[in-house]
Amino acid sequence: MAQAALKNTSIEEFEKKQEWWWAAEKRRSSRLDYLRKAIWKKGAIGGLYAPGVKTDLEQAVLTTNMARSLENAPDPYVVKSAKIFAHVLDNKTIFITDHAQLVGYTGSLPHTMNWNPSIASILNAEVFNDPTSIPDPVDKNQAVIQDIVGYWAGKSDLDKMMPVFDMEDMMKMLSGSIGWGVPLARGGYSNKDYEYLMTGKRAFQEILEEIDKKIDEADELVHTPVANKEIALMYDKLNNWEAMKICLEAGIRIAKRYARLARIIAENFEEDPKRKEELLKIAAACERVPAHPPRTLQESFQYDIFIQMMSRTEAIEGAWPCRPDYYHGPYYDKDVNIDKTLTPEEALDLVGEFLIRAAEVCQFKPKFAREGLQGIDGTWVWTMGGVDANGRDACNDLTIAFMQAARLVRVANPTFAFRWHPHVQDKVMREVFECIRHGLGYPSIRHDPILIANAMHWHGHPIEEARLWVHQACMSPNPPTKHGYQPMRMANATANCAKIIEYVFTSGFDKIVNMQVGAETPDVTTFKDFEEFFAAWVTQMKTIFSILVRSVNRARVLAPTLTPRPFLSAISERSVESGLDTLDPSIARGNAWITAFTWVENADSLAAVKKLVFEEKKYTMAELKEALDKNWEGYEEMRLDFVKNAPKWGNDDDYVDSIMLRCLDECAKFSKEIKCPCGNNWPILPENVSGNIHYANIVGALPNGRRLGDALYDGGISPGPGLDKNGPTAVLKSCGKIDHITQGRAFLLNQRLSPTQLAGEKGYQLWRAYMRTWADLGLDHVQFNMVDDSTLRAAQKDPEKYQEVIVRVAGYSAHFVDISRKTQDNIIQRTVQGLG
Amino acid sequence: MKCTECGYEAPLSEFRYLYNARIDGSISIRQCKNCEQWLAVDELKGVALEKVTGGAAPWGKSAGIEGLAEDVKKKKRRSA
Repeated sequence: MAQAALKNTSIEEFEKKQEWWWAAEKRRSSRLDYLRKAIWKKGAIGGLYAPGVKTDLEQAVLTTNMARSLENAPDPYVVKSAKIFAHVLDNKTIFITDHAQLVGYTGSLPHTMNWNPSIASILNAEVFNDPTSIPDPVDKNQAVIQDIVGYWAGKSDLDKMMPVFDMEDMMKMLSGSIGWGVPLARGGYSNKDYEYLMTGKRAFQEILEEIDKKIDEADELVHTPVANKEIALMYDKLNNWEAMKICLEAGIRIAKRYARLARIIAENFEEDPKRKEELLKIAAACERVPAHPPRTLQESFQYDIFIQMMSRTEAIEGAWPCRPDYYHGPYYDKDVNIDKTLTPEEALDLVGEFLIRAAEVCQFKPKFAREGLQGIDGTWVWTMGGVDANGRDACNDLTIAFMQAARLVRVANPTFAFRWHPHVQDKVMREVFECIRHGLGYPSIRHDPILIANAMHWHGHPIEEARLWVHQACMSPNPPTKHGYQPMRMANATANCAKIIEYVFTSGFDKIVNMQVGAETPDVTTFKDFEEFFAAWVTQMKTIFSILVRSVNRARVLAPTLTPRPFLSAISERSVESGLDTLDPSIARGNAWITAFTWVENADSLAAVKKLVFEEKKYTMAELKEALDKNWEGYEEMRLDFVKNAPKWGNDDDYVDSIMLRCLDECAKFSKEIKCPCGNNWPILPENVSGNIHYANIVGALPNGRRLGDALYDGGISPGPGLDKNGPTAVLKSCGKIDHITQGRAFLLNQRLSPTQLAGEKGYQLWRAYMRTWADLGLDHVQFNMVDDSTLRAAQKDPEKYQEVIVRVAGYSAHFVDISRKTQDNIIQRTVQGLG
Repeated sequence: MKCTECGYEAPLSEFRYLYNARIDGSISIRQCKNCEQWLAVDELKGVALEKVTGGAAPWGKSAGIEGLAEDVKKKKRRSA
């Protein structure tokens, strides 16, 4: 928008037109406006990075140089890993953004994406082969990359793991047809032991003292005149403790470098006295944290950013599990309400900046991940609200400040997920609703009582721990506690579930990747009744889940030795206490889950086959198989029959809903048969991110009427776009038939609402009534898009004008213009539910 | 089928199938292999309807309240 038009239009006029992004721009402080515009768009547009965003070679070069220099050193691998980590932190380029109050970034410059070459050679190859993101001068840097790629071939985590995996499973998984990603302990979603780290009792220096004490005790033990198993194992623990110390000390040092930089600028270059004061405050904060526990809100945020920056130096983090209102809330209360050292407006600026600092974080990701998470770098789903360990309402003033700041800075990532419970105050719910009404697509709403019970049911978390849960990725709860927190959720236990029904028709042969992936179930045309057909479905489900789970289990067992995480261990009570790497399954309770992408197609397809083939006998199985083999080409009338004349999920129709429940029952039963190395269960969690688009060209034609190439349904337990024809209550009733405690880990539900209908106080009351029904029916999740067709169509036509329009894709939000045309059309075609 | 943009004629299946965003409708998007234009195609009739541009809505409005609102408006107009 032209500056003059922006200036001459009032905030109220923009809000009336529901152009929330312009209203936000006018409403936020000049500092927030500057900071918001000073970050680069890091999420891939479709599958490609935006022009100007470049892969950062600095960490890659530092890592490689240090690895080379340590090749002949006598250090054990975990100590070498820690030394490499420390070398990167000690030598990385640091910067402070103008007007910023918080510092710390994963890369060396604001437009860069950091790249850790020690994790996976296949990722390194993608860096080399993506000329759009290689920094200038390209020729020179390509040679640097080539050297790095060559060095890590055969040495990266994945290369070390490959030979010790089941090769057949690995081939099936890497085919990309049934899973998503690879089983790496340094490539997925790491929760943190926030109860150890973020409760003000300790920080790095205090942990170092705890470790020193442990080392002294161990040292004494190993030198006693006995020889036993305990002493034999103690040497490995001593190595782990040493590695943890190296990481923590490096973490303190880099913070002090930031402090020094801030002080140098303040004392030598800054002329504005106010900014000089701010820089000195930054210096003081960085001298304090992460060495010692924070004292103020700014220090608390700074501490958190440093931890994230360091964790992302050690690993590729695809998520950002946290609960910022809960852990930073006491500092907000102290600064704003008690000491009054911050005004609410100043605090809001800090909260907004905290969101912006998170929004700029980026690590180079492979193409499949970029396609599956279009528009964002990873799923930074921040947990808000909920209850404390005693079950009391944990919402606080910072919860509200986060909702307000989100509407001002309008970043698509992080997003929020709000833990609703019956005692949430109306003023908080109104703030939540305002974010949704402003078209952010977040917070998603989570049913706290249901999910606490679910965490206890599936993983046996004690109630006091279950109540503290955070989102480990988009959807899955995980307590950030000593034994409860999961150090790495490996993304490859993500099942492309539409393949289950597809393989029933192909006897497990995958025509897209041209190999036998599923089970060799009998020829589908030989099935006499629906029961035989369904039995084949169960076999395929078990086969696919087992391939994925076996590889994660194997990787988790190998991880402490082959791919240790000394930094993450150093901030985990169980590792500091035991001397074992935090990935060691023996010290964790376990919190595994199978993400079930493209799930609902199974219920709709099974219902269509049951009704049209086995009951009405309108078509033979041979005819259906033929139509699917031909991708419905030349069978359009028949295809429409399968769409329109077979019951569809989401309409409160028991015919198909009972099939959905039966499928979930089978999965739940199997979830308790398959175990993780911690000895715990593997429940399924239906959701999609934008995997429904990624898999569009990987899943063949299905009996629900979908063709190869079509987007799959938008995921979780969301009905197919346009197929939920009986209104929002029918959708809720279908979804409410599922037992959200015992039939799976969580169930994503996308709903689209009309911004016109939900305007004003009446709109809020309609939404509250809807939410009461949602809560009564016991659904664990719902999230909303509230942007109308005309705005989205206009954004397709003139993307430059609508850069700031945000939509809910699946478990995350993205700027509408950053997602592919197919994803855009998929979102536009979702049913707009009328409430009331 | 004939491409509405370049006039290229070939059987429907030779136009590259891209996707259909509304599974319950018979409109799909296909690509002409001659001029590479994206076309909205009626799969039942085997006819290319128009080229697909930014903001085009070959499937019409989304289902639900927005579509219903239009229907109601039309009915009202007809009854008036």
